Amino acid sequence: MLNLVVCLKQVPMVTELPWDEKTGTLRRDLAAGMMNSACKHALEAALQIKEKVSANITVITMGPPAAEEVLREALALGADRAILICDKLLAGSDTYATSLVLKAAIKKKCPKFDLILCGAYTADSETAQVGPQLAEELDLPAAAYIEKLEIFGRTLRVRRLVDNFRETLEMEFPALVTVSMENYKPRYTKLVGLENAFCGNEVIVLDAAVLGINASSIENKGSRTKVRKVFLRKAQKENVLLQGTASSVVTELLDKYQIKIGTAIGKSIEEKKLDDEK
Amino acid sequence: MQINPGAKHKLIRDSVRHFAETELAPIAAEIDRNATFPVEVIGKMKDLNYFGLQVPKEFGGAALDSISAAIVVEEISRVCAAIGLCITVHNGVAVYPFLQFATPEQKKHYLPKLASGEFIGAFSLTEANAGSDSASVETTAVKKNKEYVLNGTKIFVTNGGVCDLALIFALTGFDPARPQSSVFIVESNYAGFLRGELEDLCGMRANPVSSLFLEDCCVPEKNMLGKIGEGMKIGLATLDNGRIGIAAQALGIAQGALEAAIKYAKERQQFKKPIASLQTIQNYIADMATEITAARLLLYRACSLKDEGAPFGCEAAMAKLYCSQIASRVTSLAVQIHGGYGYSKEYDVERYFRDAKVTEIYEGTSEIQRLVIARAVLSQLIL
Repeated sequence: MLNLVVCLKQVPMVTELPWDEKTGTLRRDLAAGMMNSACKHALEAALQIKEKVSANITVITMGPPAAEEVLREALALGADRAILICDKLLAGSDTYATSLVLKAAIKKKCPKFDLILCGAYTADSETAQVGPQLAEELDLPAAAYIEKLEIFGRTLRVRRLVDNFRETLEMEFPALVTVSMENYKPRYTKLVGLENAFCGNEVIVLDAAVLGINASSIENKGSRTKVRKVFLRKAQKENVLLQGTASSVVTELLDKYQIKIGTAIGKSIEEKKLDDEK
Repeated sequence: MQINPGAKHKLIRDSVRHFAETELAPIAAEIDRNATFPVEVIGKMKDLNYFGLQVPKEFGGAALDSISAAIVVEEISRVCAAIGLCITVHNGVAVYPFLQFATPEQKKHYLPKLASGEFIGAFSLTEANAGSDSASVETTAVKKNKEYVLNGTKIFVTNGGVCDLALIFALTGFDPARPQSSVFIVESNYAGFLRGELEDLCGMRANPVSSLFLEDCCVPEKNMLGKIGEGMKIGLATLDNGRIGIAAQALGIAQGALEAAIKYAKERQQFKKPIASLQTIQNYIADMATEITAARLLLYRACSLKDEGAPFGCEAAMAKLYCSQIASRVTSLAVQIHGGYGYSKEYDVERYFRDAKVTEIYEGTSEIQRLVIARAVLSQLIL
């Protein structure tokens, strides 16, 4: 029986949330939460493992009480156990602090894990740091941005896209991977799964004290990043007026903007022009 | 034990909305235009328990509570009312009578097939001369050895073109003073079961609504649902439940139209500002949102009563009456807000407008709902 742990994060449902000018953080209260997309892919990878070999899936998240929603969703999809780390003391944790908290929770509740799966990055902050930091803290072999995984006994083989080539890596359990959104398209939730997720399935709630984290440890080993400034990049728009005869305007347009037009329509118009000349 | 039903309802709504927006939204206009039944998407819905909303888990269903089931129909209908219709008719009036009136053997045989969607169900009461007056069915069932021989024509059968099983209401007692009807489980592969052409309707065009013909159709005696002569009782109880489904469908259409109207009102510029900043448009939106919220509460109240095991027929009729009326009003205002574009097939509100109207007609017209409500209210000793 493989013990799989999937780390999930609840993120705001809308992409363009306003910033709080004072604190430099997102006004998350203005949006409904949803399971981060890459985390959904990580969960899907775990579910596919469970379909092939005997496995047990624990999902874990840190967040406010509302984050229980993503855990229930994971239970509905087929996870076996759900853990919510919820404490006001942990609010505003950066990626480093988050990885320490996750480490403490995993050591306490899933000490015999074989594989930890995380989403490669989150839609709200996109640091892609928590997974690799957690691997470092737990001293595990790890691979980030994997798009495929296979299991041979106690060996994990993963494939990932690095720059313009694909590499295949192998490591022994216990290990950690972060899953990209390349494959493992999340499945739809069955209605009976949703019903079951709210029927007898308790979510285990852990606070900071249970994990041995207190105010002073937060101060000493907590968040090391401080947000100094947040600003919106202004869109750079420019109106360009092309003048002349129809044919000269079209020629000028293609000469100056063919790459941009090609990108917009999804094919190169340079080649098309060459074909026409032939 | 149910934990946190509010959270469950939210998650069900989010999940169904995600499915509907991903799978149905891209094809909704096309299947309406071409009047096609989207077999591929329906196949996915079968796998996700949409055909066994309230069927117990032991028979392969999702065992949802009634508010959850209403939310499913609402969210599908918010995107594609014709498929919402397929789901609610299958679950609300084809499967529900099995849950209430079938023998253990009938449940064991049919519920797994219905819950998995292997069998799509239909409910056939309406005939040319029996609409609101449901006691006037003319289809006959005559007993011959261990079978009943059915003859007659059913019209406007929702899911008729694709159903694998239909509940047929037919006369088994022929005394003109006291005609008695019974309900028969008729599988589409029985000899003498024939389908008519698909109806060319104003709305709900992706649902294969058709006539069904029974020509010396032999049905085994064991396929009678309930007891002989219980047709009226089963029909009325089933329609009480079906009305919750149609109310949910109408509400979903209204919600879809409101959201489309809000989006358009914020985008559409007239007099150098979005029309959403004009008080007239704001008044429309305020009325639409208020009526939808009131309708939703009325609907969920009927659902709660049903789950408590309390009588819910009057509240179901109220919910159906009000939800269907506001669906027509809201979709009409949504077209109005869109102006000329709203009258064009380029925008979804034109389809919502056509789809909404029939919710005031089928599963009991608004006039019949008022009759049901008035009878219930007037018979109460304590108000």
